[in-house]
Amino acid sequence: MAMNLGFRRKAAKPNANVQTFKWSAWLGWQMESNWADPFLFAVYSIVKPIAASLILVVMYQIIALLGGGTDVGLFYYMFVSNAFFMYVGQVLFGVAQIVHDDREHYQTIRYIYISPSNYFAYMLGRSVSKLIITTFAVAITMAFGVFMLDVPLSIIGANWLLFFAVMVIGIFCIMAFGLALAGLSFLTAKHQGGMNEGIAGLFYLFCGVVFPVSVLPSWGVSFAKILPITYWLELIRRSLNLGVGMDSALAGTSTSACIIILCLSTVVFTILALAIFKAGDTVARKKGLIDTTTAY
Amino acid sequence: MTRYAVEVKNLNRTFVTKAVRGKSKKETVKALNDVNLTINEGELFGLLGPNGAGKTTLIKILCTLLLPTSGEARVLGHDVQKETNAIRQKINMVSGGETSGYGLLTVRENIWLFSQLYGIPSKEANRRIDMLMKELGLEHKKNSKVRTLSTGLRQKANMVRGFMTDPALIFLDEPTLGLDVNASRLIRDFIKNWMKEKPGRTVLLTTHYMMEADELCDRVAIINDGKVLACDTPENLKRLIHQEAVLKLEIRQIDSISAFENLPGVRNFTHVQDMAAGITKLKFILDDESAVADIVAAVPKSGSRILTVQKTEPTLEDVFVTLVGRSLTNHEI
Amino acid sequence: MKFEEYKKPSWAVMNMRAVFGRAYPRIIGVNRELSWVFFETVLPLLGVAAYVFVYKALEAPPEYIGYVIIGGAMTAYWMNVLWSMAAQMYWEKEMGNLELYLIAPISRMSVLGGMALGGMFSSSVRALSTIVVGMVIFGISLSLPDPLMFFGIFIFTMIALYGMGMMFASLYMLWGREAWHMSSLFTEPIYLVSGFYFPVKGFTAMLGNPGTWIAVGASIIPITLGLDGMRQCLYPGTMDGFIPVWQELIILVGLSVLFMILAKYSLRYMENLGKREGRLTMRWQ
Repeated sequence: MAMNLGFRRKAAKPNANVQTFKWSAWLGWQMESNWADPFLFAVYSIVKPIAASLILVVMYQIIALLGGGTDVGLFYYMFVSNAFFMYVGQVLFGVAQIVHDDREHYQTIRYIYISPSNYFAYMLGRSVSKLIITTFAVAITMAFGVFMLDVPLSIIGANWLLFFAVMVIGIFCIMAFGLALAGLSFLTAKHQGGMNEGIAGLFYLFCGVVFPVSVLPSWGVSFAKILPITYWLELIRRSLNLGVGMDSALAGTSTSACIIILCLSTVVFTILALAIFKAGDTVARKKGLIDTTTAY
Repeated sequence: MTRYAVEVKNLNRTFVTKAVRGKSKKETVKALNDVNLTINEGELFGLLGPNGAGKTTLIKILCTLLLPTSGEARVLGHDVQKETNAIRQKINMVSGGETSGYGLLTVRENIWLFSQLYGIPSKEANRRIDMLMKELGLEHKKNSKVRTLSTGLRQKANMVRGFMTDPALIFLDEPTLGLDVNASRLIRDFIKNWMKEKPGRTVLLTTHYMMEADELCDRVAIINDGKVLACDTPENLKRLIHQEAVLKLEIRQIDSISAFENLPGVRNFTHVQDMAAGITKLKFILDDESAVADIVAAVPKSGSRILTVQKTEPTLEDVFVTLVGRSLTNHEI
Repeated sequence: MKFEEYKKPSWAVMNMRAVFGRAYPRIIGVNRELSWVFFETVLPLLGVAAYVFVYKALEAPPEYIGYVIIGGAMTAYWMNVLWSMAAQMYWEKEMGNLELYLIAPISRMSVLGGMALGGMFSSSVRALSTIVVGMVIFGISLSLPDPLMFFGIFIFTMIALYGMGMMFASLYMLWGREAWHMSSLFTEPIYLVSGFYFPVKGFTAMLGNPGTWIAVGASIIPITLGLDGMRQCLYPGTMDGFIPVWQELIILVGLSVLFMILAKYSLRYMENLGKREGRLTMRWQ
């Protein structure tokens, strides 16, 4: 005799990925925010990005006082790029960290992995909270720069259409990089600190974040020119009209060319990232590493 | 005079949980409610109760991981609040489902690491580890990384870790949780042998497997909602509930049942003749277990043969249900 | 199962064994899981190199590049203290090891000391590789006319720093993710006020008296004066020192003693608080 447990038979949902995205976004937000009361969380979200920017401010000011080469345009270049680079550090690392977090800390990866939920949709959802918090941090940093450091951001002078379009493409690209890292995370031990610093450091050094790419040796400039983040930051600067023309390596590249290169390199890196993720996932499954623990 | 391994007087422990804004209010949970308990040295003492009864809370207090809200507890003569270091020299703990250790190290290395926390010289530590691994059938895995172990093997490794320090008192918090029949049996046998080897060793075992408590424990305390409801040997606990032991026999059909009348230790008996099957069914309600031998002896005297034997008697589960009002398997959380 | 009796070790021997026991997984880990070599040495160099290029773009004097390299090298130890020692208590709790450490008859500082000792190898490799890269690729030149003073500064900076780390670890025993986020919160501000990438005397140059007070306040963090002292030792005659090196050494000795004492009492207090509130072994706080 079949047991009637009172479950109603439900039709298959066509928007299962949207559901997965929604609940994983909620989960990501809970993880990011429910460790503290709102005031403490707000302080945390404000102090961290401002302190990071102030390091560069102090460096610049010290050299200015010593009489070094201190074109104020260079300061605006450093400031705005450093602010927007937070997306790279936080979102990229945030996506990559999901695997280690679920695997080592909460040990829930096996249950999510074997469920019918799409793992990509899950990762995208978990990343959303990082994106929101980082956007808040970037806004705070830019506001600090405008009101306290006389950064001349003009609402009328900025090209907002270009800015928002470039932001969307850039975030997409950053998340793709994060996905590639996540694929590698399946195979690596829990080296969170090293991964965070290291991969962000690669982009920090080569993408014209805190100094013009032209300062690098020639091979460094060549390498920078194949990274989409380089063009993303240059387009952000151009759209906000801050620190424009400071980088002789990119000054000769028109805005449209930068956009095309950004889009093309984003597509290439996205395909690469997906391949790396898939490969990492497959190898991890073959070696039984999906739910391993590596802490020491 | 027997020294107490554990002495608990009017022990209380209350937890206050934080409110979650918009979701829940502040809650006060009384995990232990005026608990009084003594455990003699050399005893294998069981603590039986459902989830949330307070077993782990009590163990944590006795292990010096938690302070009582009020009351007193002494372990091997030392106060749990004031003499923590003296206690820690002589105890150890193994929990069911324990995931301690470092995945990158081998089983032997992990256990050696924990031996160093007790200052055991490496040579002696390795000797003990090898010995205990052999006892628990873990030898073949000593150089395997901990992260490659199955649940059962992991728990055996935890047992080696716990017993290797030769504690005067060891706390076993559901040690066979989630283990298969063979692994559970091996662990129970190991515990029994451990106790036999050195008379002074004491074990406090918490479990919600009744059979395990019945098999292993000298005395059992039944705890529910933070209160100790009863504490005695398993046999005495079963007698508490005045449920009879019943012996049922099916024998080849006989005409006269006079051989079974007035047997000592039998309170009452009934019989039923099954003509079609050619069987006489006998049911004895026993006052005394020793009556079983006389009953069995009476069967050939009556000119018959035993076909089946079945003995039912009250179990600890029956005791629990009587005392708590529900069984362990269908309680509400 | 006959266990042999052994002579009960003294308190010091017992705790020493505990230190080495806990250091063991770290030491073995770096040999068995070699990906750390890339993640912990090569990749962090890139971040340091970025700051070098900032100074190059600003046409800073050459010693500033040396300051960045030294700061980058010391980052290894700061990260080790913050994340591999202090935060590790949080991970030990999550893994289920913390309660086993707490019921063992040893000092908590021994367990933390073991973590520090074990982590020091990879930190030192990272620090040394930063210095070597700085000298080879960026051409910084360092001189050491007074090695005794330099090593004195370095050793007492480490003792004070690890003492401070033990103090933080006591918070992690009790708190959960709040402590983790606090560590994360303090990372950049500490880089800023301690002068990881510029001399703290720069605050005075920028802001006058208030700047001096910022540097004074930051001096409670051992790495502030440690970095300043090491820079003065490696660039003798520099005008960028905050206070004379010998004064910095005395203060660091004092901080070493202070933080070790504070760590002991903090660990004891937090453990008792955790036992009272029942949060000592509570996971996922």
